[in-house]
Amino acid sequence: MSSSSTSLSSRTTSSGKRTRPSDVSLRYLLPSIHSAPPFFTQQPNPNTQATVSENWTKLILSYARHRRLFTLRVEDAEVPGGEWDEILRNTRINRRLLPSHLSHILADMVAKNRAVYEPAKQTRAALLLWRSPEEWAEVLHSWADSTGQLNTILTFPDIIEPPVPSPLSDIPMTLLRKAISVLAKTNRAQIISVADGEGVRFLAGNTSR
Amino acid sequence: MHRLGGVGLAAFERQQQSQRSFAELSNELSQAHIDHLHAQLDHFRSALVRFATTHRDKIRKDPSFRHAFQRMCASIGVDPLAGPRKGGWWAEVLNLGDWQYELGVQIVDVCVSTRERNGGLIEMGDLVRLVGKLRAVEEGTITEEDVISSIKTLKPLGAGYEVLDVGGGRKMVRSVVKELDEDQSVVLAIAQDEGGKVSEELLVVRRGWAVERARAALENMLLRDGLCWLDEQDESGRPAYWVPSAMHWDE
Repeated sequence: MSSSSTSLSSRTTSSGKRTRPSDVSLRYLLPSIHSAPPFFTQQPNPNTQATVSENWTKLILSYARHRRLFTLRVEDAEVPGGEWDEILRNTRINRRLLPSHLSHILADMVAKNRAVYEPAKQTRAALLLWRSPEEWAEVLHSWADSTGQLNTILTFPDIIEPPVPSPLSDIPMTLLRKAISVLAKTNRAQIISVADGEGVRFLAGNTSR
Repeated sequence: MHRLGGVGLAAFERQQQSQRSFAELSNELSQAHIDHLHAQLDHFRSALVRFATTHRDKIRKDPSFRHAFQRMCASIGVDPLAGPRKGGWWAEVLNLGDWQYELGVQIVDVCVSTRERNGGLIEMGDLVRLVGKLRAVEEGTITEEDVISSIKTLKPLGAGYEVLDVGGGRKMVRSVVKELDEDQSVVLAIAQDEGGKVSEELLVVRRGWAVERARAALENMLLRDGLCWLDEQDESGRPAYWVPSAMHWDE
């Protein structure tokens, strides 16, 4: 058996697909379970599959956070060459996550509020919540605060494509709206109509709340 | 006519007298003997205590020394963990009772925290390594024997912790109440040889099992017991089964 000396070890990947220079040096450390051949098979035993799904969920979210990815599609497991290849495939042991298995994992993530189908009413693509809308709301508010933009009216592009890269750069619109509505509930943000669409004004709010 | 004992009442009296003296003497002698034994026992006991206290740290920290000490105790019929109720002086002198229970708690910790991925079956070497990691370095290393004797102390809890011999001197610790049949033990032993992987063919070739028997054993472990994981992408094109407790993980 060629696999008799299989040893599962963590290893780093050498992705060169980074766009932001500060991240090029940060390699993603794959967990050792990613070298386990059966990890890539959907398990017939529901308890075992729960473990497998949980580990995939953790892996997907931490990888997404590391590379600032927001969307995962079933398609990513179908066609090679995408930005998810690093984790959906392990060429060293010649295993890959099959689309049907990925679809199952996505459903599990959606059920556990760790992803939402985006757009709604389909199950082939999901928005990954490596931060919950509530956490994004905090990030958003503290960014506005620390950059001195409280009480100023900001357009959505101002937030998504700020001149200085921020933790919110490239945040999907859906997620941004969710975060703003979380803030609006506690009077820390207001949606305002501006000339070319919508804008938002952040308020200091009652932090002692 | 002259006889030593004489005759008559006086002689009878004398005989009784000497018998009494002999009895007294014998009592005295055995008393002395017992006293002597007591003294010896006390001496031995205090020597053992002195030994134990002076070497307490070494006994707790050095696994080979601890093993030697436990063997010595066993050979003279003393159990360092037994002794009078409530800890006992052994436990007090050595703190070995606490030590043993502490280790038991750590074993349970490792078994429970790895259960979801290995189905409640862990390889001895793995267990020793993970427990060692949990203890850090300060207390010194622990050995397989420590783990085994600690698992024995867990027995009264009825949690089903058990050391299984899967053959070839390899041991696994089972932390769930689950009967392993003979066939499953064979599968485990082969999985250990193969770095975790087993298949129907392997069982047929190695053990001369019928395909049906191999399939039944593997399916049971997969579906019923959750002791192995399925791999449908094996190079052979046929399903392979992986026993997580026999895989080499590093975390």
